Amino acid sequence: MTRKSGFATFVGQRWAVLFLCLEVVVFSIVGQGFFSLNGVQIVLFYGTSLFLLATAETFVIVTGGIDLSVGFVMGFSAVISARLVAAMVLAGMTPLTAIILAIIATLAIGLLPGLLSGFLVGRLKVTSFLATFATGGIVYGISLLLSGGGETKGVPDLANVIGNSYFLYWARGKGFSIFTRPEVARGTRVIEILPSMLVITAVVVIVAAFVLNRTRFGRHTYAIGGNEDAAVRAGINIRRHYLVIYALSAFFATLAGIIYMLEYITGKPDAGTSFLLDSIVGVVIGGASLYGGAGTVWGTILGCLILSVLETGLRMAGVPTFDKFIAVGLILILAVLIDQFFPELIHKED
Amino acid sequence: MADNSLAPAPFSSRSSAMAIFGRNWAVFFLLVMVVVFIFTGKNFLALANLQTIIYSATTSLLLAFAETFVIIARGIDLSVGYVMGFSTIVCAGVIRDLYATQFGVHWPAGVAIALGIVAGLVASLACGLASGILISRFRVPPFIATLGVLGVAYGFTLHASDGGFPIAFLPNVLTEIGNGYVYYYNPVLHAYSFFAPPAGTTGPQIKELVRLFPNALILTLVFLVLLWHLLKNTRFGQHTYAIGGSMDAAVRAGIDTRRHLVQVYVLSALLAGLAGIIWVFQTGQGNFVPMGSNLELFAIAAVIIGGASLNGGKGRIMSTLIGVFIISIMANGLTLTGVETFWRFIATGVILIVAIVVDQLFPDLL
Repeated sequence: MTRKSGFATFVGQRWAVLFLCLEVVVFSIVGQGFFSLNGVQIVLFYGTSLFLLATAETFVIVTGGIDLSVGFVMGFSAVISARLVAAMVLAGMTPLTAIILAIIATLAIGLLPGLLSGFLVGRLKVTSFLATFATGGIVYGISLLLSGGGETKGVPDLANVIGNSYFLYWARGKGFSIFTRPEVARGTRVIEILPSMLVITAVVVIVAAFVLNRTRFGRHTYAIGGNEDAAVRAGINIRRHYLVIYALSAFFATLAGIIYMLEYITGKPDAGTSFLLDSIVGVVIGGASLYGGAGTVWGTILGCLILSVLETGLRMAGVPTFDKFIAVGLILILAVLIDQFFPELIHKED
Repeated sequence: MADNSLAPAPFSSRSSAMAIFGRNWAVFFLLVMVVVFIFTGKNFLALANLQTIIYSATTSLLLAFAETFVIIARGIDLSVGYVMGFSTIVCAGVIRDLYATQFGVHWPAGVAIALGIVAGLVASLACGLASGILISRFRVPPFIATLGVLGVAYGFTLHASDGGFPIAFLPNVLTEIGNGYVYYYNPVLHAYSFFAPPAGTTGPQIKELVRLFPNALILTLVFLVLLWHLLKNTRFGQHTYAIGGSMDAAVRAGIDTRRHLVQVYVLSALLAGLAGIIWVFQTGQGNFVPMGSNLELFAIAAVIIGGASLNGGKGRIMSTLIGVFIISIMANGLTLTGVETFWRFIATGVILIVAIVVDQLFPDLL
């Protein structure tokens, strides 16, 4: 290892955090209303799908693979859950029962694409890139078939009430209330804190971080990504492990799709396609290596925050949103170049 | 294939008939598909339909050829679809701005189009150089480097088209060339002509016109022969296979691998840029290809179905041709059969899985 100056190492090791701080400072100055409770919540609200998809991607990338199907699985589950809810309501169920049953059924159906990819990768030794692309194509075709190419209608408004509710409300004179919006006179300001979908996402992400970081399952995941042969010799059942990894990835993506359905009371096949690039970029910025064996859920969340702040900040600063793609591409290249120049900084789990 | 799909047997014991089938399964599959569509598809065999298939496969073919070189060199280029879109918008934008009176001069359509083509190619060249240098000099994995270039190219495309609006008001001569045919025959007048309908053809007679050999086919054939020759008979092709087979061995054999990789990605981007320019000619406007169409994934699928391996060193132009036609004939035949086009994604996914599994079972092929 060549000697690098202390400052360069310091910056190199923490560039993602420093970059995030820089973004926040810049956008607080140029963005209208960026530095406010609302601004923060918009950043996090945009982030919910991204956090889930990127967490899915983290597990797969740590094993040395890549999952190209996450966006399609998200669209798939958005369509399936919307269709199920609409059909059940039509069949005479109360909206609440319909939504709960549809969510349970969708979570189960959503595992299927993951199992297919996992089978292809683990049993048939297909490159993950191709296996998940094939699965993604199949799933996308099915969601187009189910939705007729358009949006799925007929989801009850209750979904909207759940999807866009907040964890905490505060109104003057009424105090705090959980999940239910306080009844106030028109014109009285109600402060909304933490979207409920964000709370659910946070819980899932924390559990995922725990699983990857602290359990035997997580250690095996790093082992497979570090050296598959060694993992086999160490007695890890890699076929089953791949099956679980890809099913887990599909599970997170399915959850993102269900949240999409609740937030937008519709399902469409393209719900998640624009997140594929962002989710991979988020994981790579977060310090994971595409060669496997490195990466953490918290790193990924940091990477996603950078993207989410960028998206929201640019919008609030009045820059056309499509310019964000240029920035995302450049940040991705920057992240990889930093990895190349400071290879010793990639955080390996031990 | 069904009888041994999951149990790889030693290769020596495999009968030669099996080996021939395994080696050429894509060709057999294509033939079976064509036979099925002849019976199920309405007018599948009609001359007009066969020419439509060739016409609409032009751009996918160029993208797949681009991907062939990259995949043989053990890389992947995720940006081809977006480089194509970028080149479309740049080319159409330049043509529009010059064709409309600009700098006090009314530029003739020919000059505007020529400059537009150059601009489109330069734009794609820049993308190729960026990915090539990142991959060869900075050792960025091809997947990530081209993903980054994809993002940047997509951003510029949206920026240049004000968020994805088609660029219109282009000269009509574009579509006359792009959608024209080499040979026209007017059965009413018993007249024939080249490159334009015979003089005196009236409105109702246009329906009766016999059109042969779409202009797009000339281009396809030229590129097919050129790229086939480049890959098979030249040193450039040899080095591409060498690098894909073993990077270390290629370095020891004295190949300037850095330079070669840059060239491979530049070639890939230029072919994608050319596809974008052809798209301008075919549609007559700068209609950028939206994000959901996943052109690069279909291109990669075609190459893999054709028998190339993502592990590098394997792949042929003619096999890619078969792969592209499997995907495009399937789309066409399914439409004519009355099946909803959504099945195209499902069917492509399933065929891709078959292709990969065959590749796993017969790794010694090709």
